[in-house]
Amino acid sequence: MTLELSRLTGQVQAMGEELAARARQFAGMVELARRWLIQYADMGERLRHPARAIRAAIPTDEPFNAIHPLPATPERFTVIAADGSQIQPDPHGVALYYLVNVGSLVYRHGSGEAPEAHSEPVLGHTGTDMYENGRLVTGNLLDVRRDLAEITRLADLCAVEPSGPTVALVDGTLILWVLEDRSEEWQRAKVMAYLDQLHRIREASATVAAFISRPRRAEVTRLLHLASVDGDKNRVDQEPNPLERLPDRALFETLPPGARSALFVSPSPTNYDYYHPAGHGVHFCYINLAEEGLDPVIARIELPAWVAENPDRLALVHGAIVAQARITGDYPYALARADELAFISGPERKTFEEMVVTALLRAGMRSALSPKAYYKTLTRQGRRKYRG
Amino acid sequence: MSSKNLQVGRVLRAGTRGFTVGCAVMQPDLPAFGSFVRVEGQTSGSAIYGLIYDVSVEDDPFVRQFISADPPEEVVRDQRENRQVPIEVSVLAVGCSDGVTIRQCLPAQPPVTLDWLYQCTDEEIQAFTARFDYFRLVLDARQVPADELLGASLLAAAAARPEGERETFLVEAGRGLARLLAGDPVRLEGLLRRLRAW
Repeated sequence: MTLELSRLTGQVQAMGEELAARARQFAGMVELARRWLIQYADMGERLRHPARAIRAAIPTDEPFNAIHPLPATPERFTVIAADGSQIQPDPHGVALYYLVNVGSLVYRHGSGEAPEAHSEPVLGHTGTDMYENGRLVTGNLLDVRRDLAEITRLADLCAVEPSGPTVALVDGTLILWVLEDRSEEWQRAKVMAYLDQLHRIREASATVAAFISRPRRAEVTRLLHLASVDGDKNRVDQEPNPLERLPDRALFETLPPGARSALFVSPSPTNYDYYHPAGHGVHFCYINLAEEGLDPVIARIELPAWVAENPDRLALVHGAIVAQARITGDYPYALARADELAFISGPERKTFEEMVVTALLRAGMRSALSPKAYYKTLTRQGRRKYRG
Repeated sequence: MSSKNLQVGRVLRAGTRGFTVGCAVMQPDLPAFGSFVRVEGQTSGSAIYGLIYDVSVEDDPFVRQFISADPPEEVVRDQRENRQVPIEVSVLAVGCSDGVTIRQCLPAQPPVTLDWLYQCTDEEIQAFTARFDYFRLVLDARQVPADELLGASLLAAAAARPEGERETFLVEAGRGLARLLAGDPVRLEGLLRRLRAW
């Protein structure tokens, strides 16, 4: 073992104390934030424009402190979840390739049937697969491909699902995260490909939502700061925010069990540049997933405009997410299973690498790890204590 | 009475003394403790015979979450039918065949990973239990509940025969046991009592 744990003792202790101090500080902030939520609840219209400029949550027509109780769900409805994982290309490996594995679960509530579980692995290895505009498909480029594979899988499953209330669930945000150092043309192509799949889901008469567990965004609290300075964005820049870094979820821990907060619009530039014009403008709200008598569990839900602005679709998503989360306690069952189906374990990764080596040998090609990778295999097995 | 081979599952781990197979879900017609089973051997027509001595259901932290809850039927079926946690069936090897002759001894080679394990047909059970040399293999096996297993296998073998032959078969089996366990009358008595339960 080369990690000198004894040298970390002091740092870990300092971290614990700092986090505890921050939690105490947050407690004071939460009180103020909740007071402001009520005080400025009806300032939405005035704040809409400046909120976008400072990347705060953009108000809708709902008062900030609106509470929507858990709606009834239909006797039968379907939740389809998809999640992905990947093996990144390794320039030191036996061959240059990537693997994206998308897991999905179709869960039909009230049917008594076993859900349909699938795994769909895709191997990228050709020149076209591996390079985009001369860049190796790795990091954010591969993340984007995985996200596109996930949403495409959801759209495929929604397209073949028999008619009936259906909710497609994405793990994480609904806004495709593309690095801004890429060309605008490239970004547009990727986002439009994602939006095409949202469109297919809509065409299939299904709804879609993204689920974010333990969200850390501080967009509503930034909106409250803006409200406290009377919507003056210059003052927001100049005056310190007393709610700085306070996550929105702390604000909404008073939601009754199963209830959701008001809807807001995401201030992300990608949302405004691409999603809004295509009719998929991303809205969000917070939901308390906990059952009566238990500590609150706040999740952030993101929805396209055509779900957020339709009361029936919105109620279906709200009820379906709470129903799913309450199977496990605090996280949608279908998403947990989709993650399990997508996950590539260490032994599976090793077996797959052996398959690659065998395939190369059959094709008459000798392959080997790079010297660096080879020595890592030696030094990382059965490590002994460092005695330097 | 069964005249067709039922697939039990595929071999997960194997040795010459026995092997473990995995199956996705417990079904009422899957063979139980003491059943005779067969795996095809490495050469054409050959087979390895065994007795099921344990059926175990593995758990994991995810499924454990639902023990104290009251999960919906969909979750119960998902956990049983879709999750990659197989039911493990352990088998004691008691014989092998080259396609012509059945020998009641350990096989020369174990089965291979992912080979299918089948439940023996009544005809196969009758053919295998025409001799009782496998008694010694069971009685000497340390990892299994030997007496229970032997008793259950003999009752299964009796059930595989026409009704008029069952009692005669069990009496013959009892004589075979008496010869092997002459020096251990307490153990013999326990085994014979199990056979009398017929």
